[in-house]
Amino acid sequence: MSANLEREKAALLAGQSAAEKASLVPKILFGTTVVSILASIYFIFIFSSIEKTMGVVQKIFYYHVASAWCAFLAFFVTFIFSILFLAKRKRIFDTYAYVSAEIGVVFTTIVLTTGPIWAKSSWNTWWAWEPRLTTTLILWFIYMAYIMIRQMDGVWDKKARLASVFGIIGFIDVPIVFFAIRWWQSKFHPIVFGNGPSQKGGGIEPNMLVALLVSITALTLLYSYLLQKGVTLENMRIKVTQYKEKLREDLEN
Amino acid sequence: MNFVYGAYSVIWLIIFGYMVILGRRQNKLKKEIEFLKQLDR
Amino acid sequence: MIRSALLIAKKDLYSELKTKQVLATMIIFAGLVILVFSFAFDPANNTTKAVIPGVIWVIIVFSGILGLNRSFISEQRNDTMQGLMIAPLDASSIFLGKFLANFSMILVVELVSLPFLFLLFDFKMYGGFGYLILVLVIGSFGFISIGTFLAALAANSKSSEMLLPLLLFPVTSPILIGAVQATKIILTNIEKLSSAMAWIQLISAYDVIFFVLCFILIDYVLEV
Repeated sequence: MSANLEREKAALLAGQSAAEKASLVPKILFGTTVVSILASIYFIFIFSSIEKTMGVVQKIFYYHVASAWCAFLAFFVTFIFSILFLAKRKRIFDTYAYVSAEIGVVFTTIVLTTGPIWAKSSWNTWWAWEPRLTTTLILWFIYMAYIMIRQMDGVWDKKARLASVFGIIGFIDVPIVFFAIRWWQSKFHPIVFGNGPSQKGGGIEPNMLVALLVSITALTLLYSYLLQKGVTLENMRIKVTQYKEKLREDLEN
Repeated sequence: MNFVYGAYSVIWLIIFGYMVILGRRQNKLKKEIEFLKQLDR
Repeated sequence: MIRSALLIAKKDLYSELKTKQVLATMIIFAGLVILVFSFAFDPANNTTKAVIPGVIWVIIVFSGILGLNRSFISEQRNDTMQGLMIAPLDASSIFLGKFLANFSMILVVELVSLPFLFLLFDFKMYGGFGYLILVLVIGSFGFISIGTFLAALAANSKSSEMLLPLLLFPVTSPILIGAVQATKIILTNIEKLSSAMAWIQLISAYDVIFFVLCFILIDYVLEV
């Protein structure tokens, strides 16, 4: 086998064993994630008081808002890494951007499913054209488009470059979308339900605030764990693909 | 109250679903690496 | 840079005028959309009037996508795209040129199809004609600018016709929201002009932000 191929194989195997050995970071992340999620469940269901107007159903709000926060964080990370990739052109930046976008879509899906469930339980309607929910819907479409760009045919650097550009545009679009929709709603559909599902209501009690913060921390840790896992997986996939390419080249010679 | 159960089950379904997808990707990768190792022998 | 942009715009428009193929397709498509809407909504009914602002913008969006697709697909035949990129032009001039060509085409389509729409739906305009033109121009400006940019992006893929709508619709939703609202106010109750102006300001802000952004980022899209 050619020397090049030997080197690639060594790199591949080294990468694999490194991924298995240097598993301290993932283990820590996984551990803290599990602990914080258990803690958040305690805080949500036992510690925090039951809300006066909406009752027990209000408890959905904790994970709904925490997911929305995490989705936004994920897309912000994609934005930052998109800019970094366009500036520095290192593949790892693009990998982080892509994995973060994927996780962001997962969290956005959570927001989009818990939102209607909450809406149905509180106001007996599956959907409310209120700003946060509608923006989240558009957000979902924007980042699905990002993933579609990444799954285009072609060389990785072209896909990564185009996706990064779209990542930047998509993220800057989001605040504008939010303001446009909020305006659209306030002018023609005054929020008849008092405070919309996204707003926290007149005054949030301290124990609810604690539960919310714990949920946000839990989901953020989950996000970090998923990000780290996803990036490791993607790196391995890249190495395997490169190795196969070299193997193919070698066989042709 | 049913709604709360429903909502949280959906949340955990989605999260675990995603982790299952990740697990499947990882298994596929592992199989490929094993295959490539075999090729070497 | 402006001159090279105008050059590219002229080239696109001249090649278009020779065959008039895309323009004709866009106009006929707009007519068909109007037809479909007249089946979907009863034109005789008075409440249908409320739908007209939305229909206007649906026509513009769908015809626009047709035109935008063509603007970069045509460059893939004979690989003229490479030629453009290698020429001593800024990527921004290419963007500007294509944008100007697409913008003029969509304005022509609007000029032809909107009177046809008003005719078919027996819609009486109660003044405010100038404001309508304003909304149409500003809304189309934003839509076509981001559209040209994303068309350049999507042209890199084999399934670019499928990818472009996927990219374009979510990103231009503020324009659509603002434009439909403003058009509605202008066409039906013109007294609320101040809110229409506010919507127009929103669209203008969007236009400015994204035009500048596209200008900056087009270099990365049109890299060799």
